[in-house]
Amino acid sequence: MAQRYVIVGASLAGATAAITLREVGFDGTVTLIGAEQEPPYERPPLSKGYLRGEVPFDKALVRPAAFYAEHGIQTMFGMRATRIDASARFVELEDHRRVSFDALLIATGGRNRRVSIPGGDLEGIYSLRTVQDADRIRAEMTAGRRAIVVGMGFIGSEVAASLRQKGLDVVGIDPSKTPLLRVLGETVGQTIADLHRAHGVRTIFEDTVVAFEGTRRVACVVTKAGLRLECDVVVVGIGIEPAVDMLGDSGIHVDNGIVVDEYCHTNVSGIYAAGDVANHYHPIFGRHIRVEHWQNAIKQGAAAARNMLGKRVAYDEIPWFWSDQYDANLQYAGFHTKWEQLVVRGRLDSGSYLVCYVNEGRIDAAVGLNRGKDVRRVMPLIRSRRSVDLERLRDDNLDLRSLHSSP
Amino acid sequence: MAPEFVTTIKTSEIPVGSVVAVDVRGTRIAVANVEGTYYACDDACTHEECSLTDEGELAGTTLTCTCHGSEFDLRTGNVLAPPATRPVKTYRTRVEGDALQIEV
Repeated sequence: MAQRYVIVGASLAGATAAITLREVGFDGTVTLIGAEQEPPYERPPLSKGYLRGEVPFDKALVRPAAFYAEHGIQTMFGMRATRIDASARFVELEDHRRVSFDALLIATGGRNRRVSIPGGDLEGIYSLRTVQDADRIRAEMTAGRRAIVVGMGFIGSEVAASLRQKGLDVVGIDPSKTPLLRVLGETVGQTIADLHRAHGVRTIFEDTVVAFEGTRRVACVVTKAGLRLECDVVVVGIGIEPAVDMLGDSGIHVDNGIVVDEYCHTNVSGIYAAGDVANHYHPIFGRHIRVEHWQNAIKQGAAAARNMLGKRVAYDEIPWFWSDQYDANLQYAGFHTKWEQLVVRGRLDSGSYLVCYVNEGRIDAAVGLNRGKDVRRVMPLIRSRRSVDLERLRDDNLDLRSLHSSP
Repeated sequence: MAPEFVTTIKTSEIPVGSVVAVDVRGTRIAVANVEGTYYACDDACTHEECSLTDEGELAGTTLTCTCHGSEFDLRTGNVLAPPATRPVKTYRTRVEGDALQIEV
């Protein structure tokens, strides 16, 4: 009988896995199950070009809608999977149907964290994950209206920029000292705060929203410090949680997402995970990491498919992502949680810099503002795990490629 | 108008390994010198229109747009790596004396 491969999560990771299975020549059945009605799409435009009405939805599709049938991929869109039985080898759907599998990939991604404070159910308060979320926010984006962005992480920062670009008055609030503090640290975060202020965002840091007020619709945001900010619309971007509730008592190991090895494999034979939901062992960094970005979704989805076919390819991509805000292009590569030293190429106040996060003389990660080439050139140095000459690294006239082969 | 070769800049202005922008009848075109062979394509990346001259990283005949990581094969314009999905338009080139000509 033909092998039955099932993918739960018609996400970028899930769709890429399905496409890869066919590209590699798998001739069994491929079933792609997703809770959203739309064919799989990429999410980066949702906070940027699509939100501003500059990019049509079709451009965000992973493949044209007809692609899946044309390539023998069965799709079940608009259908949530509710349970996995790992021993009887089936996935149960919300309509109680069961889909049997020989191999299963879980690519369910994440769901937005919600604020549980008074007034959180008022109209006019949004979060952003799906194209429908983006459409709802877009419908509120009229120039001159007052928007409050709660949480200045990547999504909050990008939404704040898009709102400003459409002429709304924007206040950005975050409990940290700067935007993007957790990932980038205060030194770099400060430059992003400056970027937003330069574009007219009022920023409020080290303060927290404690209540939303309004009769039917939100009209005011109240902060812990006692600020009362009148508003017309609120967008909350306070991160995601991995979508693992369907795993229940399946026996699949969950710890900050689904725990997988470098082959995208869970602790249960024949069951894999990829994308935002997967807390994967990274052989280069020697630890498990969970990455919530486009490149990881696409590359890990492809790697998972190859591993489902028994190809044993270790997934060891250097994490990399971009974030476009206004005319600025921010890119991050690598992985770090702390650093002994920051090495800066260029000047932090110049709108163009590369900052390297260095431990024991090695570059663990780097962030560049309008420095795409530097970011690309620093990636082999991150991958090598070798110590680098920090003085040369700091020399902004030096082409980083010249450090690739030097001892 | 039938395509014809248009004289642009001197080949000496395009060092080996570099990508240089030229304006040909109102179209901004990126010209890459790969070991003495000249490849020409639209300067605007098909993903989000970053300038391939400014942002392009050349390795062999692969041009990477370092804005968002899209990779193009300069010989064909084909996409080698996303997020771009559409090929970049390429143009034929030839050298006439010390000048580079591009067919538009």
